[in-house]
Amino acid sequence: MSKLPDPWLVGLAKGWQVLGHSIPPPATLKADVVVIGTGAGGGVTAELLARAGLRVIMLEEGPLKTSKDFNQLESEAYPALYQESAARKTDDKAINILQGRCVGGSTTVNWTSSFRTPSATLTFWRNRFGLAGMTEEAMAPYFQEAERRLNIGAWLTSPNENNELLRKGASRLGISSDSIPRNVKGCWNLGSCGMGCPTNAKQSMLLTTVPTALDRGAVLLVNTRALRLNLAQGRIQSVMAEYLSQKVHLTHTEKTSGAVEIKCEHVVVAGGAINSPALLLRSSMPDPYQVLGRRTFLHPVVMSAAVMEHEVAGWQGAPQTIYSDHFLETQPIDGQMGYKLEVPPIHPVIFASSIPGYGEPQAALLKSFANQHILLALLRDGFHDESVGGRVGVRADGSPTLHYPLNDFVMDGARRALLSMAEIQFAAGAKQVLPVHEMAKPYTNWGEAKDAIFRLPMLPLQTRVVSAHVMGGCGMADSPQLGVTRPDGAHWQIPNLSVHDGSLFPTSIGANPQLSIYGLVNRLTQNLIRRLGGRPEALA
Amino acid sequence: MAKGLLSGSLPEEAVAQEAALSGLLLRLSDAVSALPTHAQQELCQLLALLGTSPGRWCLAGVSNPWELATVADVQAGLHAMRFSHITLRQQAYQALHDLTGAAYFSSRDTWTALGYPGPRGL
Repeated sequence: MSKLPDPWLVGLAKGWQVLGHSIPPPATLKADVVVIGTGAGGGVTAELLARAGLRVIMLEEGPLKTSKDFNQLESEAYPALYQESAARKTDDKAINILQGRCVGGSTTVNWTSSFRTPSATLTFWRNRFGLAGMTEEAMAPYFQEAERRLNIGAWLTSPNENNELLRKGASRLGISSDSIPRNVKGCWNLGSCGMGCPTNAKQSMLLTTVPTALDRGAVLLVNTRALRLNLAQGRIQSVMAEYLSQKVHLTHTEKTSGAVEIKCEHVVVAGGAINSPALLLRSSMPDPYQVLGRRTFLHPVVMSAAVMEHEVAGWQGAPQTIYSDHFLETQPIDGQMGYKLEVPPIHPVIFASSIPGYGEPQAALLKSFANQHILLALLRDGFHDESVGGRVGVRADGSPTLHYPLNDFVMDGARRALLSMAEIQFAAGAKQVLPVHEMAKPYTNWGEAKDAIFRLPMLPLQTRVVSAHVMGGCGMADSPQLGVTRPDGAHWQIPNLSVHDGSLFPTSIGANPQLSIYGLVNRLTQNLIRRLGGRPEALA
Repeated sequence: MAKGLLSGSLPEEAVAQEAALSGLLLRLSDAVSALPTHAQQELCQLLALLGTSPGRWCLAGVSNPWELATVADVQAGLHAMRFSHITLRQQAYQALHDLTGAAYFSSRDTWTALGYPGPRGL
């Protein structure tokens, strides 16, 4: 248990209204606006609406875990803070998806990378989805506010060795790389961002917007999942939710549950790009053009694991500080799939479960754990006719599913990414490189790796694919034929329903999405406040 | 099955290996109980199938009952599932691989062998 000051203890002591944590929520509640989800979208929305004087209820299906609970242990963090214990998968099990499920959502567990939406992405949205207002100039003030509010800026500490090797390998090949802006204040450079920041340096929604909303009188319901939206006379009348709490005792597990109905004037859905479309599907929201839950994007990620001569200690230090956009810029955005290169933090559980093979060959890889240098490539999906993304559905029990075909077009990008990463790793001095693929072997030079990667069958499941960025499914567009939501985030058919999260994006972003969500949702919420008659407010 | 997946990582000495496997089973049980219902159900179906002779034979190609199977038998079964053309067999292999690897290496006892010092004290 972290002994550092935990602002939540102070807040709860002074009377923040949090239900579902130690006190179960009542059966009925009333609000001006219900905000479903407390991640990047829900957090920003809740703070602004509460400051504007509106009565806000935040609904969070995950638990309230704060810095005192963050022990930097994967075994505790994955089941407590992530969707499906960090093992959420596409329906064919070929893509493992990391998403937060706790107060602060994915911002509580992300690696702090903060990029504005790339200009090429905005141009594509204007041209293909009629989002005329999405220009760099129009978005700039909203990004600036988010950057000020969340202390987003250059990270001036030296990168850890895992990141430095990306810079070094790329530079030896004449490939540009740069440093990643981060949303931190007084970061201790521990490297435990993915398990919840134990020092409260990360300016996540858990530390910033959710507490501000509570200070302004908003109510937070935790361990409470939105089941469906009640629609009558063309408007949402209330949100039906279920409170579910589990307390583990020595001899038994005590489960408490109860139904909650929240009557409201407006609903903002911000449950992330799998749960938001799934909630709308469960609620049978009108979908005359069959666009809901379609065009779900993942930035499918492939990885390359190198062994260096020296210790890399990839668990240590800020996890993600160097990137290269070289391979996003070598072809047009709507040409063959481009990819962004970054590195992940390396911890035992995620490493052992991601690295292919078993028995002695895997044991040999694990023995080189401290010398491992891993690169990842985020594939930019959604910009080509052959990259239409996935489709969210719901099971009989209401839980969401995602079908995402890893077709030849996507896997061609994956092969080129494995090639680029291996070449960079050998240039950085790797003594062996293993593309993370069931049929690959550790290769000891670039020529051997190149020949082998050209021959690898780039099939789902054989190629290890993961994702930490889910986007789309309730896309914005200037016509209801092309999107679920209007350019202002309101649902095309239901005026008192808005979507404020990554599911708004009509394509993937081509960069880690948190700042894209902060900036866009900041803008949409300021408009929503005008519509609802609140006091004008800005994020900073 | 864990003996096949983790050979080379498990302690070789019999008593220590037994202790490591008991710890692993407890952690696996915790990990599975934290999964959502639909994932638990799928895993249950997989394990139930692997527990029957026809299921063991069809999925893993292992003829000996698990309690009589050698590490080599188990590894031959893992190999057959891993490189099978049948999606269900690949999925089964990956589920066993991921769950076992995650549960085994979540224990501090396994970290020394990795050269991982554990989280920095605050």
